[in-house]
Amino acid sequence: MTPEPLNRLIAQLARLPGIGEKTAQRLAFYILRAPPQYARDLSQALQEVVEKVRLCARCFSLTDQELCGFCLDARRDDRILCVVEGLADLMAVERTREFKGRYHVLHGVLSPLEGVGPDQLRIKELLARLEPGRVEEVIVATNPDVEGEATALYLTRLLKPMGLKVTRIAQGVPMGGDLEYADQATLARALSARREL
Amino acid sequence: MRLLRLRYSDFRNLADVELAPSEHATIAVGQNGQGKTNLLEGLFFLVTLKPLRASRLQELVRFGAERARVAGTFLLGGAEREIAVEVSGGLRQAYVDGKRASSLEEYFGGVAVVAFTPDDLDVVKGGPEGRRQFLDRAVFNRFPAYLRESRAYGRALKGRNRLLKDHVAPDYLESWDVTLSQTGARLWTRRRALLTELAPRAVAAFAAIGRTVDPAAYTYAPAHLDDVDFQSAAEPALARALHEALVRRRARDLERGFTSVGPHADDLEIRLGERLARTYASQGQQRALILGWKIAEIENLHAALGFLPLLLLDDVSSELDPERNAYLMDYLAASGAQTFLTTTDAALVEKAASADTVWYRVVGGTCTVEARGEGPASG
Repeated sequence: MTPEPLNRLIAQLARLPGIGEKTAQRLAFYILRAPPQYARDLSQALQEVVEKVRLCARCFSLTDQELCGFCLDARRDDRILCVVEGLADLMAVERTREFKGRYHVLHGVLSPLEGVGPDQLRIKELLARLEPGRVEEVIVATNPDVEGEATALYLTRLLKPMGLKVTRIAQGVPMGGDLEYADQATLARALSARREL
Repeated sequence: MRLLRLRYSDFRNLADVELAPSEHATIAVGQNGQGKTNLLEGLFFLVTLKPLRASRLQELVRFGAERARVAGTFLLGGAEREIAVEVSGGLRQAYVDGKRASSLEEYFGGVAVVAFTPDDLDVVKGGPEGRRQFLDRAVFNRFPAYLRESRAYGRALKGRNRLLKDHVAPDYLESWDVTLSQTGARLWTRRRALLTELAPRAVAAFAAIGRTVDPAAYTYAPAHLDDVDFQSAAEPALARALHEALVRRRARDLERGFTSVGPHADDLEIRLGERLARTYASQGQQRALILGWKIAEIENLHAALGFLPLLLLDDVSSELDPERNAYLMDYLAASGAQTFLTTTDAALVEKAASADTVWYRVVGGTCTVEARGEGPASG
């Protein structure tokens, strides 16, 4: 019989996404064998992350203050706003280092089949922060699937009447990728949206 | 493309069967319920990842077994490739040369199959759903991206139907109308492109089968479209037209709780002369209309892909009258395609056979090679 505290730790770790029973066991043994300070640091980090990290009151990305770093950064351009589905998408856009505007995180997309309607997303909050004269362009960067497209269209219908320029990220063959590896639906779409050189 | 070897493990009633097919005709002879059709179904499933007969995936696994597997060794562009598919726990997984195939497209690169079953023969007189499925199978064969595109449409359609039932705000429904019309317009252009290629060939094939003076006509035109010429409109114009139709019919759709216009509600119209074949053609003529379509599909794939598809014919000969069967058998023998036939009566398919035909006898889920001559005599 393994001691109950160890079992409890393994059970908690195994709940994490991508972690199976065996990996959970390995992680638990690692924590057990490491100097006790590691376990104290880890538990403090865990505590703090849930206590201190919350959603930014303006863009709904993550922050440990009222507003996040993206919203506070004075060098960023107020006139352009990028709307994304989730935090992972925000990070992906940010990694490009190309975008210098502000963000807005919807925390999902419209999905009738999963019961997600406009009220379940941060859409009201998006409309509220678009004061006239400040933001000029909204880039809708939801995923190019059925739900992402429908969400983009829904936002367009709300934003266009406000006199905003609404744009959608382009779709097609990935840069640096080989054509031969592109899936056929993407390639077909890229072909039909080809442009003259 | 050529299939060199085929192995079934726990697929339906085939516990462990290995086939070494002919370069041309391979014929499985057996009584009903012995597993002939399972041989074809396994091959069809291997190449398309879809069951030939409507069924749940788990039904493909032999009773009492954990997983079903079909593996085929193909000669593709001069190289031997093994493609395999496994079904277990209601899920399927495809493999190319022993490695998991991550996307369906990766898998469908160089193989194509045209299947012809007794169910197809009822397509003319059956409902529109059967004809749509019949049409879509040909579209998918020709344009592999259609699989993903039709899934996207299906998802958009389900979403809109849910919104109709929930009576959501008009703005919200509108966003789904636009998405549905965009994905729907893509299906329309695919179906139209296929018909443009296929219909003339099918008309010619039907005429060559003979015995009917009236010409055949295979047409596809969506219902409830105003102000747009379906045959010539570009995809964005079709999307606009579908969107307008959705808006026009919105009140009615809201009342009924489902979407009444779009690719899911269309029909493939098959005519003989001026009249609808569904009501006016004889049974023999209806079957000839399907036969003409299948031959057109083979020739069209040959022209488009540069190689002949595999042909699977499941006990079709017993359903055709002797002259049309003779035409089909002659066609198969002359086509040079790699063909798999099943029959209860070897005499019916003899004309498709040649010196290199491989004959199998199927009894209780096992297959044994028969020397030429024994097959027909014992059928």
